[in-house]
Amino acid sequence: MTRMTSMKDVPREDMLTHGHGACPGCGYAATAKNIAKMLGPNTVVYVPASCLVVFGALYPYSSWKTPYMFTAFENTGAVTTGIKAALRRRHLDATVVGMAGDGGTFDIGLQALSGAAERNEDVIYVCLDNEAFMNTGIQRSSATPFGAWTTTTPVGLEVKGNRRFKKDIARIVADHDVPYVATLSVAHFTDFVRKVQKAKEVRGFRFLHCLTPCIPGWRIEPSKGVSINRLAVDTGMWTLYEVENGVPKVTYKPKAMTPVTEYLKLQGRFKHMSEADVRQLQAWLCAKWRAHYGEEAPSPPCVMPGHEEVLAHDGDPLYGI
Amino acid sequence: MYEIRFHGRGGQGAVMAAQTLADAAVRIGFQAQAFPYFGAERRGAPVEAYARIDTAKIRTKSQVYRPHLVVIMDASLLELEGPASGLRPDGKVVMNVAQRPEELDLGAGVDAECGTVDASSIALETLKMPVVNTAMLGAVAKVWNVVPLDAILEAIEDRFGGKLGRRAGMLNAEAARRAYEATVVGRTQGKREYVQPKRWLPVWDEIPIGVSLRKTAHVEEEVGPATTYQHHTGRWKWSTPLYKKDKCIRCLRCWWSCPDAAIVRQDDDYMRWDLEYCKGCGICADICPVEAIDMLQGARGTWQ
Amino acid sequence: MAVKTITGDQAVAYGAMLARAEVVPGFPITPQTVIIEQISEFINDGLMDADFIPAESEHSVMSVAVGASAGGVRTFTATSSQGLALMYEMLFAAAPTRLPVVMAVANRSLGAASGIWTEHNDSVPVRESGWLQVYVEDNQEALDMIIQAFRIAEDRRVMLPIMVCLDGFILSHVVEGVDIPEQAVVDRFLPRFAPVNVLDPRDPIMMNPVTPPEFATELRYQQDRAVEAARTVIGEADEEFAALTGRRYGGLFEAYRLEDAEFALIGLGTWAGIAREVVDQLRAEGKKAGLIKLRYMRPFPGQELRQATLNLKALGTFDRSAAFNGYGPVFTEVRNALYGSGITVTDHLAGIGGRDITAEMVRDMYGLVERSARGEKVRDCTWHALRGEME
Repeated sequence: MTRMTSMKDVPREDMLTHGHGACPGCGYAATAKNIAKMLGPNTVVYVPASCLVVFGALYPYSSWKTPYMFTAFENTGAVTTGIKAALRRRHLDATVVGMAGDGGTFDIGLQALSGAAERNEDVIYVCLDNEAFMNTGIQRSSATPFGAWTTTTPVGLEVKGNRRFKKDIARIVADHDVPYVATLSVAHFTDFVRKVQKAKEVRGFRFLHCLTPCIPGWRIEPSKGVSINRLAVDTGMWTLYEVENGVPKVTYKPKAMTPVTEYLKLQGRFKHMSEADVRQLQAWLCAKWRAHYGEEAPSPPCVMPGHEEVLAHDGDPLYGI
Repeated sequence: MYEIRFHGRGGQGAVMAAQTLADAAVRIGFQAQAFPYFGAERRGAPVEAYARIDTAKIRTKSQVYRPHLVVIMDASLLELEGPASGLRPDGKVVMNVAQRPEELDLGAGVDAECGTVDASSIALETLKMPVVNTAMLGAVAKVWNVVPLDAILEAIEDRFGGKLGRRAGMLNAEAARRAYEATVVGRTQGKREYVQPKRWLPVWDEIPIGVSLRKTAHVEEEVGPATTYQHHTGRWKWSTPLYKKDKCIRCLRCWWSCPDAAIVRQDDDYMRWDLEYCKGCGICADICPVEAIDMLQGARGTWQ
Repeated sequence: MAVKTITGDQAVAYGAMLARAEVVPGFPITPQTVIIEQISEFINDGLMDADFIPAESEHSVMSVAVGASAGGVRTFTATSSQGLALMYEMLFAAAPTRLPVVMAVANRSLGAASGIWTEHNDSVPVRESGWLQVYVEDNQEALDMIIQAFRIAEDRRVMLPIMVCLDGFILSHVVEGVDIPEQAVVDRFLPRFAPVNVLDPRDPIMMNPVTPPEFATELRYQQDRAVEAARTVIGEADEEFAALTGRRYGGLFEAYRLEDAEFALIGLGTWAGIAREVVDQLRAEGKKAGLIKLRYMRPFPGQELRQATLNLKALGTFDRSAAFNGYGPVFTEVRNALYGSGITVTDHLAGIGGRDITAEMVRDMYGLVERSARGEKVRDCTWHALRGEME
């Protein structure tokens, strides 16, 4: 089998096939599709409760060409452990991958994730991070960024949006001394291909953390479902790195730091943010930038985004229907 | 008791429309209920919502099969299903379409009073977005005299205003008012025969055990792994990509970035769009470095 | 054939080893812990060819078990009380997915106002999870039922998970002489696991996706029929096991001195042993007492009980847990099964939270049932050895 180093090497055949029920422009679907494509047919997929569980398979149909299983929300680390144990005993050398959301990873699934990582189970754990519980209708998770509107961090008269900063799950997993941890952005093609290829080759517990924009949850244009990832990286809202056998390495560094307002202004979920909140977020990003890229970040201008009247639907899926 | 069925696509606000109509009815002394079809649909997928209005307490909780009023929020739904199915003999239809009622074909057996309005244009002009639910309620008031426009406007201002802000409430009421004025009332008579899609619905002991399926071909359809190709999700789209092959530099970014695996990479690395599955999100056009893809308004074609 | 003096927990571990379980996820909880300790020892000593997976919670234990069984290998685990409660969600994944996991439950009181001692309020409430449930009386039966459980669970007509329940401490930590069957005998009784649905890239399946209402009713009915089919399979397994080992347990329940009995008690677990003693005493006194050792709560032997109790005038049920609406769960099941049969049924709660059950307490139970057999009115439900008057 050819080693995939660029998009050209990625096979034409899809494992997460068309006709699935994701929203138009779904960043989650784009990322899951490409990872599945690269892992290929010799793969068993486990998906816990998430959007993917709803749009990828609904009895009696499945978009998956590969074996697929779902049971519950919090157990991706554990069910994949069991599947891999069975395949190992049956001398079947297949990739076992769990694809969970941020809620299923950062929050309710953290215990099983930690267990599987600590045992160094020979599975790939993919976290498709759309920064809230999107499947249940956009509730805050510990992956939700500071300031963001969700239905459980509403923009109220006194409190406006999420008051906590996003948890660094990749670092937490890396601290389990697992062989491979990487953060991915589907808009950074070559980096993405290289990391999935590496995850496919390495044995032991592998963790791929992917930023996957959500059209209704982030209140963005469907056409921005992929390219907004690039802005996330340029502003430091997302950083591309990997930790291989305990050694951290930045895999892509933007030439200059873009002010976070450029990222925020595209997204309805941030439209209410006060200047003070934007400054606080920018300061957090500067610290994060320095921590990852190891040098002085340019002092970016903390400009308020243009304040437009918000008419976009508020993200409640029932409202949308 | 009056039963109302809304047909729309995920994102058009059918549920809010049903709720608002029920709200308006309650305001003028009726009893009412509204609820969605509890499915797992996403944006763009065909959806239904229901409302019941009565002078007495409404005890029925089932879905609506024999509506007095059908509200069709998206004309493209007529290509997929007969949304007026089950309409009562004296039932009425309201539809978001630029044509006149006489020009419509809502399916064989449908012979009903009908109101049409170009709610999409009104929504775009008033709200700057294609969410037609409030405009459709204005049209409902014109065609159906059970819940008058005043009550509907009041309900819109309260519900939308409360949820999205006062200005949004006012603009949505304005959309309804404009749609009320613009609605053309006439009669529609249908001829088109809708074929019910065949579904694999076996008896209990013919279903493989364990909620598990291999890929299996039945007379009706294929089930199991890799069978969603039978779902033509491209019919959800509002816009369609136009590929200008001469500009294409074969960078593969569109193919890579398509969430729906609807872009087919040819042997020569040029692309083909499978519009049966393209939902028209426009990511390909957004990501293309040489502007080889344009997004055109509306759904068109099957292959490109 | 070797007799070893071992605890109930150890007997269970021997059963899992002899059944050639291949994946064993586990998490410590008293009084089950000895089972996973013993299995770990078997594995590390090279006596058992299996993977022990030390999961980080019981929820994960059952999740690993579900994954392993879906991957096509024989899977065993064990738990108790709070551990079973933490697994609750995944019990409902294993059964509809028809994964024949075998799990020992060392019964222990669940929740507050309790400790580590025996009560059936951990396993009895999950009898609606779709799992089969068998309750054992002694260590030999514990070992034998682990082996039988795999045979029953993996039968193509059944394909359901099963719990083998043993009273915590009273069995789990008490040593008895246990006959350890020869591996060859077990191998003859228990064929290799032939799963119906396996996650295998060479033959892809979709397993347990979100299922809309159009299919859920039919799939649930299949589950119901599989529990029904287990009645036959349980009887067959009991007969074949008896032919190979000489030990017969009676299938769904065991009737003791019931043929000419006028009154009897029915109940689960180790209580049956004491009840046998009491029945013998009563018989010696010329009283026509009998006993039904209820073995399976699922499938519940309703029809069979109706037949077996035709000649009784009164039947008492023994409940080692309360249902908090006036009766215990065994009573509810039994009276439902005997509805319209004309037999007076009364309920007798004892042993709650691990309180010791003595022969005197069981004699009191029989005394009340005998009175109701004579036509006297007694309480529908009596809490035995309760301090203070019942209201």
